[in-house]
Amino acid sequence: MSALAEMLQGEVARAAAETLLTVENVSLTFGGVRALSDISFDIRKGEIRAIIGPNGAGKTSMLNCINGFYHPRSGRITFKGKTRQRMRPYEAASQGIARTFQNVALFKGMTTLDNILTGRTLKMNRNFFWQLLRHGPAMREEIEHRIYCEDIIDFLEIEHIRKTPVGKLPYGLQKRVELGRALAMQPDLLLLDEPMAGMNLEEKEDMCRFILDVNRHFRTTIALIEHDMGVVMDISDRVVVLEYGHKIADGTPDEVKADQRVIDAYLGVSH
Amino acid sequence: MDLIYSIFVDPFLQMAGAPDLLVQTLWEGFVGGILYALIALGFVLIFKASGVFNFAQGIMVVFAALTLVGLYEKGVPAFLALALTIGVMFLIAAAVERVVLRPLVNQPDIILFMATFGLTYLLIGLGEAIFGGNPKVMIAEQLYLPKGAVDIKMLGGVVTLQKIDIAAAVIALAMIACLSVFFQYTRIGRALRAVADSHKAALSVGISLNQIWVIVWFLAGVVALITGIMWGARSDVSFALQVVALKALPVLVLGGFTSIPGAVVGGLIIGIGEKIGEFYWGPLVGGATESWLAYCIALVFLMFRPQGLFGERIIERI
Amino acid sequence: MFYREAGQFKTTYASDMAVLPILQDRIGLAVILLIGFVGIPLLGGNFFLQTVMIPFLVFSLAAIGLNILTGYTGLLSLGSGAFMGVGAYACYKLTTIYPGVNIVIWIVASGFFAAAIGVVFGLPSLRIKGFYLIVATLAAQFFLQWSFVRIPWLYNYNASGAIEVPQRLFAGIPLTGANATPVTRYLVLLGIVTFLTWIASNLVHGRIGRSWMAVRDMDIAAELMGIRLLPAKLLAFAVSSFYCGVAGACMMFLWYGGGEANDAFNINQSFTILFMVIIGGLGSLIGSFLGAAFISILPTALKFGVPALGIAIPGTVAEHATYILLGALIIFFLIVEPHGLARLWQIGKQKLRMWPFPY
Repeated sequence: MSALAEMLQGEVARAAAETLLTVENVSLTFGGVRALSDISFDIRKGEIRAIIGPNGAGKTSMLNCINGFYHPRSGRITFKGKTRQRMRPYEAASQGIARTFQNVALFKGMTTLDNILTGRTLKMNRNFFWQLLRHGPAMREEIEHRIYCEDIIDFLEIEHIRKTPVGKLPYGLQKRVELGRALAMQPDLLLLDEPMAGMNLEEKEDMCRFILDVNRHFRTTIALIEHDMGVVMDISDRVVVLEYGHKIADGTPDEVKADQRVIDAYLGVSH
Repeated sequence: MDLIYSIFVDPFLQMAGAPDLLVQTLWEGFVGGILYALIALGFVLIFKASGVFNFAQGIMVVFAALTLVGLYEKGVPAFLALALTIGVMFLIAAAVERVVLRPLVNQPDIILFMATFGLTYLLIGLGEAIFGGNPKVMIAEQLYLPKGAVDIKMLGGVVTLQKIDIAAAVIALAMIACLSVFFQYTRIGRALRAVADSHKAALSVGISLNQIWVIVWFLAGVVALITGIMWGARSDVSFALQVVALKALPVLVLGGFTSIPGAVVGGLIIGIGEKIGEFYWGPLVGGATESWLAYCIALVFLMFRPQGLFGERIIERI
Repeated sequence: MFYREAGQFKTTYASDMAVLPILQDRIGLAVILLIGFVGIPLLGGNFFLQTVMIPFLVFSLAAIGLNILTGYTGLLSLGSGAFMGVGAYACYKLTTIYPGVNIVIWIVASGFFAAAIGVVFGLPSLRIKGFYLIVATLAAQFFLQWSFVRIPWLYNYNASGAIEVPQRLFAGIPLTGANATPVTRYLVLLGIVTFLTWIASNLVHGRIGRSWMAVRDMDIAAELMGIRLLPAKLLAFAVSSFYCGVAGACMMFLWYGGGEANDAFNINQSFTILFMVIIGGLGSLIGSFLGAAFISILPTALKFGVPALGIAIPGTVAEHATYILLGALIIFFLIVEPHGLARLWQIGKQKLRMWPFPY
């Protein structure tokens, strides 16, 4: 079998893969401003999906819609076969959507470990009265989750800052802790909002490695926003391009790279 | 059924039955509201220009009034005492800037807020130590404030307006207008607004933070003095005023912390609301509702507009 | 040299997650408890217990309550005085309606009434944030204070309009009322405070404490982590008011021995407790104790300590001096260490750990 045929077969298999999330005709407005108009795309189970576009294209707004922080004015979002109209962010979280933020949104007064343990909140269910005692079942549960979090800490190589308040950490490490916190939720879909913004080359490489590892080892589906085109084209399976709230392209990195409208959007067109 | 009648029908029948009483109550609420607005104005000035929630504004009112009366009692002529008091308020502003604000630049809001708590205690202690804790009489006549009352025949009854109340309303409104113009159209006003938005950005374009803070605290001190004179002339000058000053909080919340017109409208809503509520509905629950009604009115408004009536709509970003 | 964790290896997560992972800290706590339960009752006179220790413990409890709300959950409250009042009146009603039940049970149970009222006034906290929330808590403060005076049923229609604490026995010894000795009251109070501090420490170190702090630090991110804001905030209001309520009941029954709402549970009381929390350190249990010690003992020390040195000062001057000193100290502490005495305590421990080396 030729290499080309193999590749084609891979494509077909991937196309047949289960769809995890579908976004259909979503529009979002703030006052009179249309942040998103009529956006549709899907995310398949197990893939890395990138959302790119110039500043102000509506990428973060799109993520905010997906995890219930913004409510689209029209359109439908289907996750794991369930369509929803309005939902609160904690409902999205309990369905298995986790995320990191463009401007690090860690709990600054808490230690790295406590931050990551917060991600386990939904998995902890010992009731209030056991919590009062912090012995027996409550403590067992606490330790069980501590072990899970320690695995994540190992994986992200942040053992040495386990007990440091995150407010004191440098930016790159904060981003890593934030990824850890999202991973602690054991999400089905992980939304990463500019995970590599403001990082140097080395930190970017580390972060890429973590993202790919998460995708392969934990089989977590990932949707990410990123401005570094090299990174995006390297690690993502498929790319959506937004501009001024409209979708202008959707496809594999190579297809997107060749698309004239994408080139125009990034390089500008002379009129 | 009786209960529903006495809550929803009877008060309105009373209002319609004695419109002159209604007007009298409205007037008293209006004047009370203006005075709340004056206290709130002091808060707004400082909050606008330094982001500090100045809890000490209430005690500054008392302190200014006490200083004025105290100086007069020591034999200083009334207008000289007034000038000296303004000087004292300037000294307080400069001291606050030097001792409290400057070392606390860039601390979280709550820390600055707490520092003004400390200031409150300091001023209470100082005021009582210097002037004694007994209520004093404001030197209204010596300052040529009008006395007595005018009776207006209307709606089949008589509405009594205290002249001092009329003066208070006029002076307060004039001052509010001046301050609005000052904020909007002068160079210092623009600098003040810039500082309120961001300390760092203001510094970077060459605005002197320290100078600005002295100016606003001084302005707030002058507002406090005028409030103290008006309030003192209506009742007397005592530390009890300080609890009344707490009512500036619901006023601020209604007005949205940074808006001068907001403080006025908020003050009027609270002032009129609590007078009307106390007069017509108060007896149903045993009276003396004025201690808490203001807060509940503000709370109800807040449930519908969490940013206050004049505050900008909060768009949450992440 | 003696205070360090070197050589204390933790082999289980459980030992690493203990509240006091360092052996010397545990010994220290044991010593403090020993002094508290045995040393002070034996050596401290009645006057010391009544004017220093009992107020300190009552305020510590209230400060823990407010710290849970303001320090851990980030919700500013000026209503703690009123919630203390709810506890005191609830306890009074309960023990006069059911005199047979042990008073200690009623003191603790009265916290639940305060918790319920706290939840009601906490409801606006979902929509109202920051300084705006002060108005909601002030509404609670003034409305409740008004109710205490206007509803005679609450004080059993006493002519004085005040709570008159009846005599109740605890293990055969009078615990409340005129015949109770300060030692008995102190020991029971210390027991209650120790127990409730342990509970509070359990809460703040577990899942619930983490979700409170998450709400405090970044409420939006907390919600996206799956923490439901309203239940988390209401739980904080409930637990906080519970502690304040128990503190109020203790204040009335084990300290004042009777009194009226407008004196004991007024807005100044709320301020005092807020000072304790801020001076002590937001988000720190030990800070609540340090702050309470500082602010409740300072006026007493001025009032009784300075004359004891031979300097006679009239009562009014002492009062003014207290105000001035308190105000100046608040500002001073905020400038020196905005994170309160608890942070100074931590820095001290850190230094001790390194001692005699500077790094």
